[in-house]
Amino acid sequence: MKAYIIKRVLSMIPVLFLVAIFVFFLIHFIPGDPASVMLGPDATPEEIDNLRSELGLNLPIYQQFFQWTANILQGNLGTSLYMNMPVLEAFISHIGPTLSLALLAQGVSVLIAIPIGVLAARKRGTSVDSTFMLIAMLGMSIPSFLLALILMLVFGVKLQILPVAGYESLSSGILNHLKYLILPALSLGAIQAAVITRMTRTSMIDILSTNYIKTARAKGLRERVVIYKHAFRNAFIPILTILGETFGSLITGAVVTETVFNLPGIGQLVMNAITRRDYAVIQGTILIIALTYLTLNLLIDLLYGVVDPRVRLNRK
Amino acid sequence: MGNQYLLEVNELKTVFSSESGPVTAVDGVTFNVKHGEVLGLVGESGCGKSVTAESIMRLLNEKHTKYDGEINFNGRNLLSLTNEEMLGIRGNKISMIFQDAMTSLNPVYTIGDQIAETIMIHQKMKKKEAYNKAIDMLKLTGIPSPEKRIHEYPHEISGGMRQRVMIAMALSCKPSLLIADEPTTALDVTIQAQILDVINELKEELNMGVIMITHDLGVVAEVCTRVVVMYLGQVIEEADVDTLFSSPLHPYTKGLLKSIPKIDGDRNKKLHTINGVVPSLNNIPNGCRFAPRCTYATEECLNEAPLLQVIKDNQKVRCWNYRQLLKEEVQNNATTII
Repeated sequence: MKAYIIKRVLSMIPVLFLVAIFVFFLIHFIPGDPASVMLGPDATPEEIDNLRSELGLNLPIYQQFFQWTANILQGNLGTSLYMNMPVLEAFISHIGPTLSLALLAQGVSVLIAIPIGVLAARKRGTSVDSTFMLIAMLGMSIPSFLLALILMLVFGVKLQILPVAGYESLSSGILNHLKYLILPALSLGAIQAAVITRMTRTSMIDILSTNYIKTARAKGLRERVVIYKHAFRNAFIPILTILGETFGSLITGAVVTETVFNLPGIGQLVMNAITRRDYAVIQGTILIIALTYLTLNLLIDLLYGVVDPRVRLNRK
Repeated sequence: MGNQYLLEVNELKTVFSSESGPVTAVDGVTFNVKHGEVLGLVGESGCGKSVTAESIMRLLNEKHTKYDGEINFNGRNLLSLTNEEMLGIRGNKISMIFQDAMTSLNPVYTIGDQIAETIMIHQKMKKKEAYNKAIDMLKLTGIPSPEKRIHEYPHEISGGMRQRVMIAMALSCKPSLLIADEPTTALDVTIQAQILDVINELKEELNMGVIMITHDLGVVAEVCTRVVVMYLGQVIEEADVDTLFSSPLHPYTKGLLKSIPKIDGDRNKKLHTINGVVPSLNNIPNGCRFAPRCTYATEECLNEAPLLQVIKDNQKVRCWNYRQLLKEEVQNNATTII
């Protein structure tokens, strides 16, 4: 088990290195120069040149890259050109809204999607099944920004029961905090819920036709036990993969949703950094996002072992 | 009648509703099982053996299934019981083991959990007690060091062991009827023999009736006392095992018996085969269902369906020409003797 984890962690290094190369060069090939952005349209070429050399932007690109990687290896992700604070600090100050939003969206979608998916599988082929599948199909097809705007319009503008946009941190009270997150979480969770519902349904249908489910019924078990004890735990294995993926994409920032609802999260941090050509922030944040993704993947893989004894590692 | 039989299946009809209309998978099947008897249910794939078994257990999806006839078990008609009442019978009074032991156990629970679960629901035992009982059951089926095995998962043990676990699970509540649906098909020959021995021994010990579903006539010869031969949803012949092997009446049964390879047979001679294939249930022939494949079929066979007739105490057959066939056989035997 330990050996496995160490192996997996080591295997993250080349992936992160590739991500680093890719992000670095991609960003630097985008037209636009941070110095001229920072100084505004009135700056003289001299001023810009001075700032460029101050920031190290006049060095050859490979030198910049080596300097950056050398710094990262020392645990230094660099300093934001624009905000004048270390990238890590900027990241931490923006992770709160993203994390809250991700947890809420994922929580809501799982709570809705799994029972519906199970129900649809049990009632396969009936009108209940087709109704839910239709809704799920809609949920998957609707763009999240559109859903966000509709939700804003209905709950924020017409009914005026929830704030249209903005954010209050957890320190201002949990209810206050949640109030701002409900609409973003709904618009973000709808797609996740649709995906999870469909996955749950398919997986449950597969499992319900297996021989061991027949065995479970032949034992005289109640349908409830057959479904939730014998079928669901097996059906959960592929669902877990989807959960990992969706949570990964949530936690690493829902750029569109955060922008629409004006949430100061990671998505917004990256967006702003891109428009400001804040190289260090873009590179650093994306690197952390990649790391988070890889770690989540590892966690999910370890969780498989908890659910499915066949992939457990530390058995004789 | 009454209590003489453990199970009386009477004119059982199982009809599935499908998109192309109703399909009668089991059509008027009648047979009985006594205590301590092993009844073989024989036939090709798709002849309705398994559907008959699953009808007895009421395991089919009842939204799409209609039953007709009676399945009397200890005097109660199982077809008229509620779901709740069936829960008390399944796994308790009637148990079933399945063909594919490799996939019949739940991969995410230990063997102990799966056996103890049955014991706990039917015998209202505590977990600890149920586990001890499970260990006893595993011992009974001949699994070495059951105290260790009980904590293992299905993927950690062999196919033969898994089938033993299935048997232990099925017999843990001492059922009076065991339905074994091709229990040895997926196993190699030595393990097959062991599993059949286990079933036979436990049958004696518990005095239970057994329905052995198989397409393997070797298995029939080894364990069954009586045999019901099915073809396309109907019983076509029933006899005790000796009679069936020595003087089968139905051309289909004869064909099946002739197609068994003999160890001292001529290696260059091709094995006997029955012409044609089993027709689909959507396309059941008029008259005798076997007639299109039967070498003895007459005009009558093609047009009119024969009934299952009682020939002797221990033999029934569904064939118009069995007398004729019998006569010919006697003559043939006579000429070979001369």
